[in-house]
Amino acid sequence: MNKQDRYLTFALGKGRLVNNTMELLEKCGIHCEEVTDKSTRKLIFTNEELKLKFFLAKGPDVPTYVEHGAADIGIVGKDTIMEENRSVYEVLDLGFGKCRMCVCGPESARELLNHHEMIRVASKYPNIARDYFYNRKNQTVDIIKLNGSVELGPIVNLSDVIVDIVETGSTLRENGLTVLEEICPLSARVIVNQVSMQMESARIQKLINDMKENL
Amino acid sequence: MNRKLLHTPEGVRDLYGLECSDRILIRSLINAKMKSYGFEDIDTPTFEFFDIYSTEISNNSARELYKFFDKDGNTMVLRPDFTPSVARCVSKYFLEDNKPVRFCYDGKTFLNTHSLQGKLKENNEIGAELMNDDSIYADAEMIALLVESLQAVGLTEFQISIGDADYYNGICEEAGISAETEAEIREQITNRNTFAADLIMEENNISDKYRQLIKSVSTCIGDASILEKAGSIVTNDRSQNSIKRLQALYKVLCSYKIEKYISFDLGMLSKFNYYTGVMFHAYTYGVGDAIAKGGRYDNLLEGFGKSAPAIGFMINVDDVMRALYSQHIKLEHEDGVVVLSFTDDDFEATLAEAQKLREGGKKVILSKK
Repeated sequence: MNKQDRYLTFALGKGRLVNNTMELLEKCGIHCEEVTDKSTRKLIFTNEELKLKFFLAKGPDVPTYVEHGAADIGIVGKDTIMEENRSVYEVLDLGFGKCRMCVCGPESARELLNHHEMIRVASKYPNIARDYFYNRKNQTVDIIKLNGSVELGPIVNLSDVIVDIVETGSTLRENGLTVLEEICPLSARVIVNQVSMQMESARIQKLINDMKENL
Repeated sequence: MNRKLLHTPEGVRDLYGLECSDRILIRSLINAKMKSYGFEDIDTPTFEFFDIYSTEISNNSARELYKFFDKDGNTMVLRPDFTPSVARCVSKYFLEDNKPVRFCYDGKTFLNTHSLQGKLKENNEIGAELMNDDSIYADAEMIALLVESLQAVGLTEFQISIGDADYYNGICEEAGISAETEAEIREQITNRNTFAADLIMEENNISDKYRQLIKSVSTCIGDASILEKAGSIVTNDRSQNSIKRLQALYKVLCSYKIEKYISFDLGMLSKFNYYTGVMFHAYTYGVGDAIAKGGRYDNLLEGFGKSAPAIGFMINVDDVMRALYSQHIKLEHEDGVVVLSFTDDDFEATLAEAQKLREGGKKVILSKK
């Protein structure tokens, strides 16, 4: 395997980050229109000229691909990086896809967060929730993992509060919930495999700098 | 038969046939290299008291140890790493006369890592430790030994990345950063997350000059030319000394003629302050993490009552095999097996022939027609 022949592979988290990411890459002179083409059924896209490959993956899988070196570079939300907690280099904050990780619930639940009594927390992000309550708040909690529509939790009395991403807060308001505490801000990040960073250091650092300049 | 018992638990596996021979061959090739540098074999127990490992391991990774109790209620640990055991043994028996001590080991280590991440819980490691020598010649010898070990198994495209935490520590010391904040920053620098590191520094009112310096640490990756640049931007003695030492080390490595495998990475920091000086990782294609790790740990032996400098490294044999297979590098085994078939009538004659071949070093299987 020759160094010049080697492809650098990007794993992109499916969803709203993809268009922003491809726009940014376009600005850096990297073209791959196929990626945003909804009609194609191809899984992997190639830019022969620059020796780059792209594939789309479900968000939580992106850090996994990058950790194992199946992809050299990944672009994914901070929430996923925190939840998956893989050993990858997190090298750049892309600034788009901004939102917040919050503890939300009905106003009446605010009081519960000021004590150390056990409460029930529903979340798609059990690791983030556990870390926040155990290590930062030192509060005992019962974490219930849900896979979607987490807002239902407090409404149907499955949990006292939820830990979820808040973008505008409109879903919360419509359902009588509110942000009780903010855990951290989120945005899209560039992650890099540890081995790739050493073996392809020049190419990757150039890519990162190009992206940084075009933000 | 109970079919439920046919598969292994998660994180461990059977190895047989060619793969198993490959592993044995790799181990013997590397062991032979280590012997050629005068290293002697050492074997330590598979399990030890928990306290042997407690100094090097944070609370978080203590969860990943396999722990159990002996009859007296002491906590035992299946070894996650050889170095502390070797250090314990060496400080007990070998350090009377302050001469350099060279040991190499080969065995299994155990880590109860997270499930479903595709990582083995039982790993084969080969490593070497050189104690009682704090010179750059010792550093260079270990790095050269690592390079030759990887070459011996047939790897050609790999990189040894060398760092020294003292460069970063010197900057932190000069900036007067508290230990707690320093640990937070270090975690981010280790992940190359400069913006998070910068945020922490901003919150702690660290001056712009040091913020820039610390941020530059994480991107200091490249060939020997980065050392000069890194040395020119710092003024404190500790950082400058670390750069001088790395430059001197590079010179010795050039004498070994292995400079094409060497790169430097000043952002390589160890999470637990285990290493005290030079650190190095070996990387190659086909594996997502370093295949070998090592460094200087001058404080570890002190914990066992004998203060002595030491440097060591370990190679993960399972990762080396994965790298070889994914790079399509074949290991050269001796000839294959000869199959001689016999019938009831000519058994005696066939057996005689087989015995003769076996004595001549051939592998022979007798099979009934």
